[in-house]
Amino acid sequence: MSTAFYWSIAGTAAGLVLVGLWGILTRKHILRIALAFTLADTGVNLLLVWSGYLPGRTAPIVDGTISASGITSAVVDPLPQAMVLTSIVIGVAVAALFVVVGVLASRRTGSADVRRMKELRW
Amino acid sequence: MIRTLTGLIIVLVLGAVAAAVIPEMQMREELQGVGYSYVSRGMDDTGSSNLVTAVIVAYRGLDTLGEVVVLFCASTAVVLILTLYPIGIKASEPSRVVAFTAKVLPAPILLFGVYFIAHSHISPGGGFPGGTVIASVFLLVMLGSSSVPDGRGRLPAIESLAGLSFGLLGFWGIMTVGQFLNNAFLGTGTPGTIVSGGLIPLISIAIGAKVASEFSGVFKAFRNTGGTV
Repeated sequence: MSTAFYWSIAGTAAGLVLVGLWGILTRKHILRIALAFTLADTGVNLLLVWSGYLPGRTAPIVDGTISASGITSAVVDPLPQAMVLTSIVIGVAVAALFVVVGVLASRRTGSADVRRMKELRW
Repeated sequence: MIRTLTGLIIVLVLGAVAAAVIPEMQMREELQGVGYSYVSRGMDDTGSSNLVTAVIVAYRGLDTLGEVVVLFCASTAVVLILTLYPIGIKASEPSRVVAFTAKVLPAPILLFGVYFIAHSHISPGGGFPGGTVIASVFLLVMLGSSSVPDGRGRLPAIESLAGLSFGLLGFWGIMTVGQFLNNAFLGTGTPGTIVSGGLIPLISIAIGAKVASEFSGVFKAFRNTGGTV
């Protein structure tokens, strides 16, 4: 992986977070806000995985191509990948709650427009 | 207008912060600190050739137990809300394509999910992704029929049983070697074979069953038109 590609992934991750934040702040449809939230979530996960990358190395799974003795110079850091799994699962849980509360709020106000939900006005 | 402007200012400020901070994270060339010791000792300590699974289930098993609890809380909240205030998404008659797919695909997808869980310690996979794959089978079957499947309370039963067995597997370590969620007291086997990795396969199965039943319950709750889930 070239250096340009390496930094472009960091840029993509930061861009996803910013686009998601932009969506959360400016969109009006409650489900679009939920979608924007998951975009930002994906960006954070991508940044975490990116931070564990080491140049020219493979996934931290021992198979026939990696010898047990040279493993510390053959694989990337497994810790961020394990942490990202946690982050993904929590993200799914929060997104599910988000959607359910959003649908209920839109039922109550008769519209999915957050401007018509008095409790959310800012 | 104010909303757009405020959003723009906040995003621009945070973008400037990101542009200043991220280039400071220089590309590392070598493993350091705890990552280094996980990689260098992981296979001997846990017998798992998948080092990510070794970190998730063995080294950070307690964190994973907490994560399972978080997922349980969220899914309980979703199901509780949907039981009190049913959305009751109308189940329309599925199209022929969906109905056919829902007949053909569940078996191979289910097999894939079980493989994912059972091989979590030797190949990419694990309890969380495998459980999600199995829950997607449930969703597919539900989409392929116009009625809500009647679980007769089996989903919560599987979920409770799986959560309980995760905790009991942890206490088994206390009983034998005095360490909660100790992984290696059964012996770790030959890395790369299906019976290896100590407690990792058993915990993966518990996590997989729990995640599958939880997500299935959430999917089902969205179809709930009233009454118990």
